[in-house]
Amino acid sequence: MRPELDKVVSEIEKVIAGKRDLILKILTALLSDGHVLLDDVPGVGKTTLAVALSRSMGLLCRRVQFTPDVLPSDLVGFSLYDRESGSFLYRPGVLYQTNLLLGDEINRASSKTQSALLEAMEERQVTVDGQTYPLQKPFLVIATQNSVGAAGTQMLPYAQMDRFLMRLSLGYPDYAAQMIMLRERQGANPLDRAQCVLTREALLSMQQAVTQVTSRDAILDYITRLTMASRTHAAVSVGISPRGALFLDRVAKAHAWLEGRDYVTGSDVQTVLHDVCDHRVLVREQADKTAGEVLEELLRSVENPDRHRIFPGVKR
Amino acid sequence: MRGRRTGGYAVWLLLTACLYFFENNTGTRILLVCSLLLPLVPTLRRALMAPDAEKAAPRFREQSMPTAAKSEPEDAGSLRLYQPGDPLNRVHWKLSAGRDTLLVRELAEGQEKGTPEQRSFPGELPSRSRSNRGPVFIICQALFAAALILLLLLPEARLGAMALANRIFRASEAVNAYVYHPFPVPAHQSVLLACVLLSVLLLSWLVLTVLSRRSVPLLLTMTGCVLFQVYFGLSFPLWLQILLFLFFLCVLLQRPWQKKALLLMLGCVAVIGLAISLLWPRPDAATEAASEAVRDQLSRTVQEITGRTAELPSGSSEVRHTHTQSLSAGEGIARPEREFQLITREEEQFSMPHWVNYLKIAGLLLLTVAVIVLPFLPFVLLQAREKKALAARAVFQSADISAAVCAILQHTVAWLDAMACGGENLPFRLWPPALIRHGLPEAYAKHFGACALLYEEAAYSEHTLSEEQRQEALALLEETEALLKARAGLRQRLRLKYKEFLWI
Repeated sequence: MRPELDKVVSEIEKVIAGKRDLILKILTALLSDGHVLLDDVPGVGKTTLAVALSRSMGLLCRRVQFTPDVLPSDLVGFSLYDRESGSFLYRPGVLYQTNLLLGDEINRASSKTQSALLEAMEERQVTVDGQTYPLQKPFLVIATQNSVGAAGTQMLPYAQMDRFLMRLSLGYPDYAAQMIMLRERQGANPLDRAQCVLTREALLSMQQAVTQVTSRDAILDYITRLTMASRTHAAVSVGISPRGALFLDRVAKAHAWLEGRDYVTGSDVQTVLHDVCDHRVLVREQADKTAGEVLEELLRSVENPDRHRIFPGVKR
Repeated sequence: MRGRRTGGYAVWLLLTACLYFFENNTGTRILLVCSLLLPLVPTLRRALMAPDAEKAAPRFREQSMPTAAKSEPEDAGSLRLYQPGDPLNRVHWKLSAGRDTLLVRELAEGQEKGTPEQRSFPGELPSRSRSNRGPVFIICQALFAAALILLLLLPEARLGAMALANRIFRASEAVNAYVYHPFPVPAHQSVLLACVLLSVLLLSWLVLTVLSRRSVPLLLTMTGCVLFQVYFGLSFPLWLQILLFLFFLCVLLQRPWQKKALLLMLGCVAVIGLAISLLWPRPDAATEAASEAVRDQLSRTVQEITGRTAELPSGSSEVRHTHTQSLSAGEGIARPEREFQLITREEEQFSMPHWVNYLKIAGLLLLTVAVIVLPFLPFVLLQAREKKALAARAVFQSADISAAVCAILQHTVAWLDAMACGGENLPFRLWPPALIRHGLPEAYAKHFGACALLYEEAAYSEHTLSEEQRQEALALLEETEALLKARAGLRQRLRLKYKEFLWI
């Protein structure tokens, strides 16, 4: 564990107790420059988490509550005719000047708005009236969607789910964590106590460092075999896409870097596989399995790179 | 690889020589000379293109180990700014591309471009190199080649060899059983030169066999002995056969002494001998006696008719009839050839087609070769195993410590797998709990976990590992072997032996 990020994690833990794993996962996503989809019930602290994250790292945080009448121009901005100067003025939207965007209930937005958001997420820039405005760096979207009460909503289609780096779930706090939370909130809001312990520039250099992490051919071979096995698995109708494989490599790199290594190992890939790929696998209804179970089977059946000997100088 | 090539070449040379011996014309002569010159080709190439070969050799080493300049180009101190007049091929284009200025690689004095300082080949064993075979080996090679060429190219020597072959045919035990076509040679051909050349050939071949580290020449010699006996219808006396066998045995044993191999081979000999003595069909005494009586009677009858001792094929009243006819015509003494032709023609009608005989000969040949070669098989296998083990151990000591650590850990894991106490398809760093579950001591599991992290660094990172880390991995391997051997029961021990045989 890197000491500078350890500080960030403990800072966030002051606000949200007992969610260390999840905080680390979101940090991993942030380091590998991807976006997170939180699949959870309301009121478990998604917003608090995002705000704490942004405060501890000195990031600019915005929040959008999606409803069916949020329009794309609310996100990307629009041009307004200024009568005095006689020209069009750009009015920036929510995405502009934002490092961390919390999009609540993304499944309630209209499909037009959804696609505008996803496009901005992918390209890291918005274009209004032929003018292109780059977004802030880093740019992380934490979108949430409620699995309960989904009637009358636009569930994200598979193709758009695929663009999220990770799908995570916060879950209810356990007994001890909830006791701590209640006790903490007796006085002031602990959110105010969260301090900025990491600069934006440091974060950017960390992102740069993550891209320098080595993935040897043995690891790429493992990722390829895993994803190809997911495509031919009997219970699966759509397997892990090539983009999924790319993301898997990226997140494994970030995970390895978080653990203080500058090389990816097979266990890194195994650790992040569920978070990165659970939402990319569509299971047939007849199979009566979840995507997680299928991936678990793949982990058991596909030889991990330690066992799959393709290293030079080693004979089978 | 090399052994197979040498053996193949020897067989090819023998075949060409045979061809030339029987079909002496320009084509076969050219073929023979060409195949005699064949082994010179690599030598010539090495002599002509020595620097190129040196360059090509360390190629795979460069692949497996990243050079220092690749990972940390700045601190190497070998780069400087471009100055007019610097050769363009020294410009470090990759680094220059990012910097707007041209950077030039600076080479240390005397260091040639593209030659790494340290050169080592992990797969190469010291005993395989050509140089330490000694001058005797080379002299014998030369003698052998010279004798062979002289024997085949000098007409005098060739005719002498043919005469010698004729003599051996005549001395053969089976002279009455087969029809030989003797080689057309002048009546009083001197065989002295051929004898000298042949003995030089044989002696140098024997010395080569003794000196060679491979089993192929020895097996060839053994096969040659058998072929000689079969072809000429001779059989060496029993003591000579045993002597030959013992000679081969000694030559094989002269390689590193292996008690196990000796026992195995003696066991094989005993089993084969027992099988032969039990299963070989014995002649039935009564039938033998009866056929002897018939033969006696027949020859007596013939003797009465012709007044000569001749062995006639049995059961041919027709023949005797012709014979008597010719006798009564008073031409018996004058034209013996015609009668003999008649007899043989009759005989041919009774006997089986030729290919059956050839098939029988081939079968016998195979059987004999098998009986002679089989006892040596364990030797060959054990030697191959030893070579494999040496090669595997050579990787452990290779200059590329990462590859060495990988090999050592894979070896350790193979041991654990063989005893079925590994961690299945888990990454190695997750094995320690499984090891403890299988009853291995906790300290060992901890050591394994530490080495698993080392393995990951060796296999997946581009770091250069230190010598201590290699020693640590080697210590783990030794600990594993000791631990597993101590734990194994009789059955498992056998299984371990088997596995060891397969993959070490």
